[in-house]
Amino acid sequence: MVFSRITKAALDRFRSSLTLRALVYTVALSGTALIVLGGVLSVSIGNGLFSRKTEQAVIESNRAKFTVSRIFEGVSAQGSWRLERALDEVVPELESIGVSQTRQVAFLHSESQTNTKNLSSPTSAGMDLTLITTDFRKQVTNEVGLQTRTIQIQRAGESTPAILIGQKFILPGGHQYELYLVYDMYNEQQTLLFVQRTLVLGGFVTLMIIGFFSFVVTSWLVRPVQEAADASELLANGDLDRRLAVRGTDVAAVLATSFNHMADSLQEKIRAMGELSKMQQRFVSDVSHELRTPLTTMKLAADYLNEHKEGLPEFTERSIVNLHGQMDRFDLLLADLLEISRYDAEGIEPVFEVHDMNGIVGHCLAAIQPFADSKGVYLEADIPSGAVQVEVDSKRIERILNNLLTNAIEHSDSKPVLIRVAQNEKAVAVSVTDRGIGMNKEEITQVFDRFWRADPSRKRTTGGTGLGLAISYEDAQLHLGQLEVTAEPGVGACFRLTIPKRHDITDFESPLPLEVINS
Amino acid sequence: MFKILIVEDDDALREQLEIGLMASGFEVCYAATGLEAVPAFEKHKPDLILLDLMLPGKNGIEICTEIRRNSGVPIIMLTARTDDTDMIRGLEAGADDYVTKPYKIEVLVSRIKARLRPLKEVLHPIIKIGPIEMDTLSHEVRKGDKKIALTPLEFKLLLTLASHPNEVFSREMLLEQVWEYTYKADTRLVNVHVQRLRSKIEEDQEDPKLVLTVRGWGYKAGPE
Repeated sequence: MVFSRITKAALDRFRSSLTLRALVYTVALSGTALIVLGGVLSVSIGNGLFSRKTEQAVIESNRAKFTVSRIFEGVSAQGSWRLERALDEVVPELESIGVSQTRQVAFLHSESQTNTKNLSSPTSAGMDLTLITTDFRKQVTNEVGLQTRTIQIQRAGESTPAILIGQKFILPGGHQYELYLVYDMYNEQQTLLFVQRTLVLGGFVTLMIIGFFSFVVTSWLVRPVQEAADASELLANGDLDRRLAVRGTDVAAVLATSFNHMADSLQEKIRAMGELSKMQQRFVSDVSHELRTPLTTMKLAADYLNEHKEGLPEFTERSIVNLHGQMDRFDLLLADLLEISRYDAEGIEPVFEVHDMNGIVGHCLAAIQPFADSKGVYLEADIPSGAVQVEVDSKRIERILNNLLTNAIEHSDSKPVLIRVAQNEKAVAVSVTDRGIGMNKEEITQVFDRFWRADPSRKRTTGGTGLGLAISYEDAQLHLGQLEVTAEPGVGACFRLTIPKRHDITDFESPLPLEVINS
Repeated sequence: MFKILIVEDDDALREQLEIGLMASGFEVCYAATGLEAVPAFEKHKPDLILLDLMLPGKNGIEICTEIRRNSGVPIIMLTARTDDTDMIRGLEAGADDYVTKPYKIEVLVSRIKARLRPLKEVLHPIIKIGPIEMDTLSHEVRKGDKKIALTPLEFKLLLTLASHPNEVFSREMLLEQVWEYTYKADTRLVNVHVQRLRSKIEEDQEDPKLVLTVRGWGYKAGPE
């Protein structure tokens, strides 16, 4: 598990780092090349050493032939003691000639002959006669000239390659002897091992150097790309002033220049759009403000007329009543428009204080009661005993509730409207449920849209502005809470407001269900 | 009969205001530009000023600051700007209350009446809070031998708190008792005026000893 996690981490790192990948590939390819090169070198040096040693051995064997001939020169066939003495000379004589210090000698009497009793077969001390196989001896006795064979001998407890050279002699008296010389290649073996070790070490060091250089060069090449990548990330995260430094005239400089161009035009577009949006918001805000002074005058005048309309002709009186009523509606619309434009401009500064939600709901219910009475709607409240403390801007919460209650009463079909309050550890919720006309799925998705009306054909009785729920939605968001809705055509609608008890609570569940009443 | 000075540059609105206020039983005088406001105040000596914030010549905030230098006359701002910063700046300059356009004449009249209503009789004519002595008959405030000039609103605010030492008043309660709001109003009205009051009576505004903030609830008069 741990291993696979480490592997996975390494793999991720490998995939994510261009430099690392370049480094690994370079080192792997160079390493392969070095191994092949080292192998070829090692084999060719080994072969060279072996063939030189063989040549040398052949030369020395030929010289040994003369030495042996000289020893037996003048030795008569009959004087067997002289023959014996000459035989004793062969091994020391041959051990001392030539440059090869490590030579072993065996001068063997060919066993195939029967009339050679009492003649010795002298050998070097420590000579392992089993190295000279009967197979090879047959070859030496049957063939003419030098016979060569590569064998393995034991030296200082190690197995070492050696060259075995055999030749046959006919001594005076017709005695056939075989001369065997063993040239061990311990030194050559050591040389080869040393060369191989040097090659491995040298290869390793070379590989390290290649790795280091490839890292340096790749980093140098990748740096502009990395910088561009980092800058893009920052740019994408909103740091629009981020630019790349342009150095030289190479492809990296072209990349930096184009990146900067792109960032410039992006920044310009965003700035222009921001300006446009700000201008639009300010326009709405300015229009609303500018309308207020004449509206105030008109309202004051309409109020005055309304108060003094008694005794005027009927048409005049009705006109005054209409004027007065519509002034109020105009006022509400303007106030809502201004409020939503302030939300758009993010110019809202809420006043959060700890309040009792029951108190706020009670206040709203009392305020809406006359309207409910006028529509013949019974308000049914399910409110927990005790305080429901929550940190809110009470004016905004009252505005939300007032909106929800007005809507519910308007669409209730004169059936009772249920208001519920509940709390859990983290949140407080208020739901307003009616048993009225309800909404279909499409209407539910549009209900918080600006100037959207549930049923355009319905008579507007309260003269709502069409911005109420849009503002309520923004108000709920301002409290880090949620305003949600569910509805069923012909069954009713349920709006639920959920607000965290404190602003540092982000993860909360609503203590009330979001459901219509099926009765 | 109370005399009201209307400072408003829009002729139609001013005239309609005059009609409404005169019909409600006030005597009315006016200034049509910012520059005329202070001379008109000195000439007519009104009992209350209705001040538009956006004026040609000199804006309402400057006028407010100037009048407050030597007068505690009640000032109610009339503003189309519901933008909070303007409203707060007006209050900081010394305005007692504000009404946003468009308003109903009844609302305006009730705000005016609240500001002109005399203080209720209190049991003890002298109220003490720390080193401060309040004479509820002469409306004089002394700190040792030094006289402190409080506006009628500041006097009422301090008196409300000091009459019940150590009792916590929420901002809503103060809005109701001092400003006489019967419905919700902006609680920052209270915050700004507590700050102004502190700047006049506290030794160190940053470390108040007389008007204390009770976090999350409101204010109370100091420990003595």
